Amino acid sequence: MKLEAVVGALKCQVIHRGGNFDSKDIRNVVASDLMSDVLVVDKDHLLLVTSLPSDQTIRTSDIVGAHAVLVVNNKTLPASMVALAQEMDVTLMQSAVSKFDACVMIGKLMNPP
Amino acid sequence: MKTIPVNPEQSPLVILDLLFKLKIKDVMSSPVITAVRKDSLRTVQHLMRDNRISGVPVAERGRLFGIASIDDIIRALEGGYIDDPVERHMTTQMVVLEDDMPLSFGISYFEKFKFGRFPVLNKENRLVGILSSRDVSASLLVELHNEYHKLEAKLPVSAIRDVNTVTRGFRVERYDFENAGKAAHAIKKILSEQNYPPALIRRVAVAAYEMEINLVVHSLGGTFTFHMDPEKVELLAVDEGPGIPNVEQAMQEGFTTANEWIKSLGFGAGMGLNNIRRNADDFDIQSAVGRGTTVRATILLPTGKDAPPQTP
Repeated sequence: MKLEAVVGALKCQVIHRGGNFDSKDIRNVVASDLMSDVLVVDKDHLLLVTSLPSDQTIRTSDIVGAHAVLVVNNKTLPASMVALAQEMDVTLMQSAVSKFDACVMIGKLMNPP
Repeated sequence: MKTIPVNPEQSPLVILDLLFKLKIKDVMSSPVITAVRKDSLRTVQHLMRDNRISGVPVAERGRLFGIASIDDIIRALEGGYIDDPVERHMTTQMVVLEDDMPLSFGISYFEKFKFGRFPVLNKENRLVGILSSRDVSASLLVELHNEYHKLEAKLPVSAIRDVNTVTRGFRVERYDFENAGKAAHAIKKILSEQNYPPALIRRVAVAAYEMEINLVVHSLGGTFTFHMDPEKVELLAVDEGPGIPNVEQAMQEGFTTANEWIKSLGFGAGMGLNNIRRNADDFDIQSAVGRGTTVRATILLPTGKDAPPQTP
């Protein structure tokens, strides 16, 4: 699944478009607000869906090598988080949909009926 | 008893060099926990208890008025005036340091004046930090460790070892979430540049990050060091307390002592220590209440024909 598909389906605003945005292929999704739980996930080609808008969300996705972070629930992103995403070149997207709806929509994109 | 086991006049050259090269501002604790003049001595006592410190500067908008020590609190409790404003009983005859002074100057102050800590002012006479003997010892240990590896790297060993041996030390402060993760990011970058496989890089980065987060969340501050050679990456976290009463319990997945604030930041779920052990090839934890905790994790790197191709 391409990030552009997520942007289209969830009407995302792309806050920072990281390098290779178009070619990144998402094969796994983690939806959590607990970074402790994200850190135990051992998967590649990852998209992190969260409603925790913080600097540590960006740091955590950098550490686990996630392709992108999607902040749901229409949360306001702190300026420091956006700056860190730019500095670390982590793709950062924002959407108004709830975390549950985001997961359902992404699930349909990944496994079309 | 000497508070700092270093003599600023008669130490090996490498230490003298460090004492001069390091400035007070490189070593001091900052930002400082302060009280205002109208605060009661009881408020100051709570600040000391909650932050496990033994001295609180009294300052308003950066201007230093005095300092209250644990002795002042004991006298207030004995004398029954613990609810008095701190300004009536604080020490106003203070010895202060300037942030640009070399560390050697700071150490000589600990010898000369029998204070446990010195407020640090900048050129504009604003309070910018506080220097305790613990700050000095901790930073000297990190710096000496770095110097040692720098000197070791100069030894005539094989070229590959020279290129691939890296040692870095990081000071990690309690509750400093802003800087937690910088060390892990630096290690990740070094391993990526040397073309190690992403899965291995993630193991090292996750273990390092969990160790940093543990220092920020649970310790009173400490040092995080990583050492890498062609065979392995060694991660070492050494803190200054409070120590873990029951290590076996702390290792249980889900067991945590983190407060709600830390949980609201997405951490403190009681997964960290186990996650470090899971990602490491060798893991060791030692802890003593009142002294501190040492966590060591080693991750083996692929060698020989499995070693990654080196970019020239």
